[in-house]
Amino acid sequence: MSAVLATAGLFALAAALFLLPLIPAIVELHLKRDAQALNVIQQYAGDIRHFSFGFRSYASDLLVPLERCVASGDTATGILPHGDRYLLLGRADTTQLLAPGTAGRTCDFVVAAGTELMLPDGITFAKELYASRLLTGGENCTYRAILGDDAVRLGQGSKVIRWAHAAKSIHAEQDCDLYGRISSEVEIGLQAGCLFQRLHAPRIVFGPPPAQKDSAGASPPDQPAEPISSFIAARRRFVDADLEIPAREIVEGSIVTRGGLRIGAGAQILGSVKSNHHLAVDSGAFVAGSLISATTMHIGPDCQIGGPVIAEYEILIESGSRCGTFDRPTTVSAPVIAVEEGVVAFGTIWARHEGHALAKQ
Amino acid sequence: MVYFLFAIVAVISLYTARHYWFTLNRLFGFQRHPYIDTDTADWPQVTILVAAHNEEKVISHILAALMGVNYPPEKMLVVPVNDRSTDKTREIIDRFCQDHPGRIRPFHRTGGKGGKAAALKDAMELVATEVILIFDADYIPGTGLIKQLVAPFFDPEVGGVMGRVVPLNVGTNLLTRLLDLERSGGYQVDQQARMNLRLVPQHGGTVAGVRLSALREIGGWNDNSLTEDTDLTYRLLLHGWKTVYQNRSECYEEVPETWQVRVKQIMRWAKGHNQALANYGLHLLFGKHRATLRERIDGFLLLGVYIMAPLTLLGWLLALGVFYEGYAPLHGVIALLSITAYSAVGNFAAFFEIAAAARLDYTRQRICLLPFLILGFGVSIFSVSRAFVSQLMAPLTGAQFHWDKTERFRTTP
Repeated sequence: MSAVLATAGLFALAAALFLLPLIPAIVELHLKRDAQALNVIQQYAGDIRHFSFGFRSYASDLLVPLERCVASGDTATGILPHGDRYLLLGRADTTQLLAPGTAGRTCDFVVAAGTELMLPDGITFAKELYASRLLTGGENCTYRAILGDDAVRLGQGSKVIRWAHAAKSIHAEQDCDLYGRISSEVEIGLQAGCLFQRLHAPRIVFGPPPAQKDSAGASPPDQPAEPISSFIAARRRFVDADLEIPAREIVEGSIVTRGGLRIGAGAQILGSVKSNHHLAVDSGAFVAGSLISATTMHIGPDCQIGGPVIAEYEILIESGSRCGTFDRPTTVSAPVIAVEEGVVAFGTIWARHEGHALAKQ
Repeated sequence: MVYFLFAIVAVISLYTARHYWFTLNRLFGFQRHPYIDTDTADWPQVTILVAAHNEEKVISHILAALMGVNYPPEKMLVVPVNDRSTDKTREIIDRFCQDHPGRIRPFHRTGGKGGKAAALKDAMELVATEVILIFDADYIPGTGLIKQLVAPFFDPEVGGVMGRVVPLNVGTNLLTRLLDLERSGGYQVDQQARMNLRLVPQHGGTVAGVRLSALREIGGWNDNSLTEDTDLTYRLLLHGWKTVYQNRSECYEEVPETWQVRVKQIMRWAKGHNQALANYGLHLLFGKHRATLRERIDGFLLLGVYIMAPLTLLGWLLALGVFYEGYAPLHGVIALLSITAYSAVGNFAAFFEIAAAARLDYTRQRICLLPFLILGFGVSIFSVSRAFVSQLMAPLTGAQFHWDKTERFRTTP
């Protein structure tokens, strides 16, 4: 091999090695296989009812035949445009939920019920369930998703895998596992032992329904007559260490602590509160604004919080406490939330990992 | 000369380690999104400032988008800050005002000092709400964005909020595709990692918010700054206010489509950043204020990112000099510098940060363009260095800082 050829070969090899990593780049630049803007869904606003709206639209073709079934007292089956089989119940007859020859107790239909429906125990609904009237679930049932135009009652030990939405109330008996989104236009009630993730309703009640006087949110004895906005542009007090607010003290303005914070029993904060460590609120305390912790939070019994309640790790709320009011709903948010019986929240409770409804200690 | 080179390599290595730390945190660490789940609240009154200087191509898009958000209309006032526009911006804004009575109150500015900060400063006479959101005119907010940006202000420690910027005109040409990669690395990894690690997320001055009482406490907008966002970030920090980053609060923007516009943009950013370094750097590190130790260190490193470009160039020159002097072997300092330099230049998110961001965004094919980033890197390093030199020379040449508006490319539908 001549020296010239060897040199040329060497250069060609070097050029090839240099260009090699550029080949996929040139191909992508030319073909534009992934040249779209990152998908930011402009119209998606995080509405908890997003999937229930979607299902209502998907199943809208079923409503007219369902009305016919109700009028005639019949049942009907068919196939939806996307290939799902459906079952229309024009009478309270649950014998057809389990198709003949189906192994186990799994219902593979999209079910639409036009009358009040009481489900047997232990059925797994692999597809969505729509009920235009009161739906009473059996014990230990598993639902993929439920859309109710009336109230929905879930039996003990039931599971909701994706979402449930009711135009009226949703009540879950003990030990239900409510994954995903649970929403109601009126009220959600959870008994002890339930697990949850995201709840949204004008009123969310843990345990037995409270007395009527509490229905719009309790007020501490000395709460100002005029309602205070939960967003308060107040003067803030910054504390670089731990802070303890004495019992029954009234603090005007917001508080930010670099350390932990304890709000004494019956104290009133007419502003918002932020602690960069553990935040403890003793019994009967009142916070007009938001309550924020960079770590964990413990809200004692009979407290009233006006604004959002946010902790970055964990929140425990004891019996008798109220978050938000009917007129000023709010959000309780943390990766882990534990709520005792007797707590009422107005708005949203969002446990990103897991929420627990606890029996009163 | 060798010791100076060692010092440069040490600084570059520090930035490289920082990039690795951020990337690993983003891939494997605890992700902080404390306010994003706040979807129900007694929402406060909010003023949305839309900075607009000759924005006839884009202003109608953002105003239409803002009229469609899910924030309570009675609690939201949009103030287009029409800064001495000479095109049809004013007419378009006024037409929107007529179509949406009571929801838009324009601020038409016909004179005064140039620049966004000066315009925002003047527009403050129309602001009476505690929460202020700021958008540049080329942005297109989605339906739920306003609530997401307002939610962090329920935390009384938060003075500023920043959302994620997502390029819309990605597929236009090589530059827009490279900028898309850079943005994803910068926001998806860099900003979110700083949020996760409780460091210093940077206020971007658009898709952003500021608390009025915090702004008043720090003395308002600094109209002498070329990057009012960086300036704001550090003044908030020094006064004990947090800036938080919301990675899931995404908003489309238009990125430059020509290299000339890109060079101007990055030079302005570099000068503004260096200005902030000169103003706040030492005080941030050693002064008496409320920033934590980790905020002091990260904040200082963040201020220094645009110094890294000239420093890297200097390092290259020194490495060559050292090599020809025969002091250092090729496999030593030079090799280390050549590897680390590619991941330590200001405003150029490190290669592995971008790769991690592409993975986190579930965008697969665009990662193939990674080798072309060397091109963007080359342009950045020389542009930023040029900006640095011109800043150094300014006292001698008498050059004044001036605001270069970023040109728009969108065609009005």
